[in-house]
Amino acid sequence: MPIEFTTDQVIFRDIASVEEAESLLEWLQTTPQAKINLAACTHLHTANLQVLMAARPVIAVWPENIELRAWLKAALEPALEGSLNGNDDSHSR
Amino acid sequence: MNPLLEQFLSEAREFSEGIGNKLMQLENEPSDQDAINELFRLVHTLKGNSGLFTFPEMTRVLHAGEDLLGMVRDERIAYSRKLADCLLDAMDFVMALCEEIEETGVISSHHSQATERITDALLALMPALPDTAATDTAAKADRVTFATGPDVLLPLAGVPIATRMEALRHIEVGDPVYWIAYTPVKECFFQGDDPLHMARQVPGLLWGTVRPTQPMPPLAELDTYSCALEFHLLATASGEELAELFRYVSDQVKIVKVDLLWRAIPEDGPACAAKVEPIEIPSIVSEEESSALEAILSAQRQILGLDDQPAWKAGRTRAVAAVLRNLSQGLGLEAAASDIEEALSASLAAGHGAPLLQWMEKHRENLAHSPKQSESAMTSNGLPAQEAATSSMPAGETATPAADESIKFGRRAEDAVNGPRSLKVDQAKIDLLMNLIGELVVEKNALPYLAQRAEAQYGVRELSREIKAKYSVINRIADEMQYAIMQVRMMAVSVVFQRFPRLVRDISRKLGKEVQLVLEGEQTEADKNIIESLADPLIHIVRNSLDHGLETPEVRRASGKPEAGTLTIRAAQEADRVVIEIIDDGKGIDPIVIKRKAYEKGLIDEATLERIDDQEAVNLIFAAGLSTAAVVSDLSGRGVGMDVVRSAVDKMNGTVMVNSELGKGTKIRISLPLSMAVTQVMIVESDRQLFGIPLDHVIETVRVAKTAIRFIKQSMTAVLRGRVVPLKAINGLLGISAHAKANADDEFAVLLVQVGGEVLGLVVDSFRETIGVIQKPLGGFLSGLSAYSGSALMGDGSVLMILNIRELV
Repeated sequence: MPIEFTTDQVIFRDIASVEEAESLLEWLQTTPQAKINLAACTHLHTANLQVLMAARPVIAVWPENIELRAWLKAALEPALEGSLNGNDDSHSR
Repeated sequence: MNPLLEQFLSEAREFSEGIGNKLMQLENEPSDQDAINELFRLVHTLKGNSGLFTFPEMTRVLHAGEDLLGMVRDERIAYSRKLADCLLDAMDFVMALCEEIEETGVISSHHSQATERITDALLALMPALPDTAATDTAAKADRVTFATGPDVLLPLAGVPIATRMEALRHIEVGDPVYWIAYTPVKECFFQGDDPLHMARQVPGLLWGTVRPTQPMPPLAELDTYSCALEFHLLATASGEELAELFRYVSDQVKIVKVDLLWRAIPEDGPACAAKVEPIEIPSIVSEEESSALEAILSAQRQILGLDDQPAWKAGRTRAVAAVLRNLSQGLGLEAAASDIEEALSASLAAGHGAPLLQWMEKHRENLAHSPKQSESAMTSNGLPAQEAATSSMPAGETATPAADESIKFGRRAEDAVNGPRSLKVDQAKIDLLMNLIGELVVEKNALPYLAQRAEAQYGVRELSREIKAKYSVINRIADEMQYAIMQVRMMAVSVVFQRFPRLVRDISRKLGKEVQLVLEGEQTEADKNIIESLADPLIHIVRNSLDHGLETPEVRRASGKPEAGTLTIRAAQEADRVVIEIIDDGKGIDPIVIKRKAYEKGLIDEATLERIDDQEAVNLIFAAGLSTAAVVSDLSGRGVGMDVVRSAVDKMNGTVMVNSELGKGTKIRISLPLSMAVTQVMIVESDRQLFGIPLDHVIETVRVAKTAIRFIKQSMTAVLRGRVVPLKAINGLLGISAHAKANADDEFAVLLVQVGGEVLGLVVDSFRETIGVIQKPLGGFLSGLSAYSGSALMGDGSVLMILNIRELV
């Protein structure tokens, strides 16, 4: 499984495909305190990214893949985005 | 015109005909899914092909059409007449564009309004779906758009300063930097797209971000499979690479070339402006410009260094100063510009160029590496900086052709399902072949004469026999060749017929009539020239039938006919002629009305009015200037039409007849030769000259005793087979002063010919054989002689003049 769900953590490995998005969403809905471990992740499908962006869980470990990390940080860390994401932030939390 | 374009135009014509046909087919069976698919494929391919060239107008219209058909195919909207109207309009427009391209090689800009109108009409037919905006953009720019200009303000403020600095460094050294805004469509996940993956594939990525297109909904409402993200990227890569990468989502991306001007664009708020400020970097005269500058400066130096003393030296010095002044102003060196005045006056006073040269030395550094404001100064002066020039192409209109082609080539490969089944040959080549074979046929006819001479003149019977044997072989081959080439020239009448469904539909709708068109015998073949010259007469006849013949549904119902009238166009081959019948079940032609009209217009006199029978009266519709329509419409009623038909048919050596039954309908029958290439002519002799008379006209040859000829005033007549036949001497008609010769029994040779339904006797000296000839039109001065329809070469090399009987009598 590219995505492994534990009690409060979800671990991404290799490539997370579009099929994972649905279960990820469900899991995040039921586990609001969830932490995300992306260390071994090399790519995740946009659908997954979108779920993460909507849920804004705590990212415990960023991916080791530098390029992916940059992308995810840009998407998930509002600080880098400047003022643009400020509103979304308050909305989703 | 390059071969690719030529091919495109010829294909476009085929496609547009195909599209028209499919639309007609759908008119009858709106739910025919195969036809819709085929239609979609045609439009799609044509659009793809048009994208190979820079015809944005055409591509846009076709794209809108494709989108619309895509919706019809997916059953999101139903096929309707209105839709067909719009699409037909669009195809007409595309064909008009094609014709223009064929003539001038380009599409002139005045079509843009029509493009707008047609595209809008097509788009208006689409239901207002939430993604209409996306479709719209797609329609307006189906390609990777290289947009630029003041309307695209780049949100560069979101880009970290370090990245921006890096980007600018790339621009400085001449690497292209692109801003990519990629907004995937909602359904993209279902189409197998992974936008993030795509973004990660971007070559030379400098920076990228992803963000929601709108505030993220609460988790419970989130639709996992609907993409609501957008990507912003900054990359240094070639336009081609980017276009290649994004080719399948070309409607979803906007690619903007970033150049130095962007730093000058004020962004919202002083905070942003402040952020932008620090990236100002020392500039920037591109390599090209600096080499140009160098060239200008060295030229001035050279001029100033000349030590001759021409009378115009002062003027020359002033010119140099003016060049330098403009140059420094253009580069924003105001101080240097004011200095130059002093240098100029010093130079003029001294009578040599030294002070100006000194000025150039002094400002040399500045001129070579002009200061930073130069860029903006040049641009604001309207002098195009290199970047500005590249990026000032109108958005979506003139994308980098190379990038564009690479995309479309990809699509072409997918679309090319069918290889060409037939060979396209220029008609001129076939005509040449035809002429050569014609010559061969004529030349071969000289062989029997040669054989004769060999025997009679030189007495070598053996040789004569051999020549004859060879002749029979050559004769067979030549005949087969002629037959083969005629087959090549044969075309099915469907070429002409296929335009009728559209024509009938348009006209009947305009007239508010219901018409069912039946086409029969479309596979009947005839020579290309015949088929082509058939088009106009047929259109006239069909128009007439629709306008005058068929009644409106109300009238039809009242007279107990089915509401929809039937118009049948039937082609068939009868012996060596092709017969075309146009039959309608309309109100028919009233011979009394025609007679009266013809009399009113002075086409017939009172005696004729009394004499002619109904059949003859009906045939009066072919007389010039007759129109029975009460009101002149744009379709018919101007009194031209049927006479045009007759003259066109006459020109092809054909005949046209009309049969009509009042209240039941009309049948018009056109009979044409299968081929115009070989004409059977009868040779007659008069005053020791030979003339050919087309066999089509000849009824019979008779001998008339001198005593049987009677004179009525000046005219000769004779009673033949119980009817009075006017006789005319061919010598008299051709202006030959000799009299016709009678034979030993005091009988004249009379050739009975039929001219426009009338029988006439031509008095000649004697009859000869009938032969098949290849008729050549008369050229030059001779073409004005209407008495001859052409000339032909005979086997012995002499020229035979073919008489044009219709003109002659």
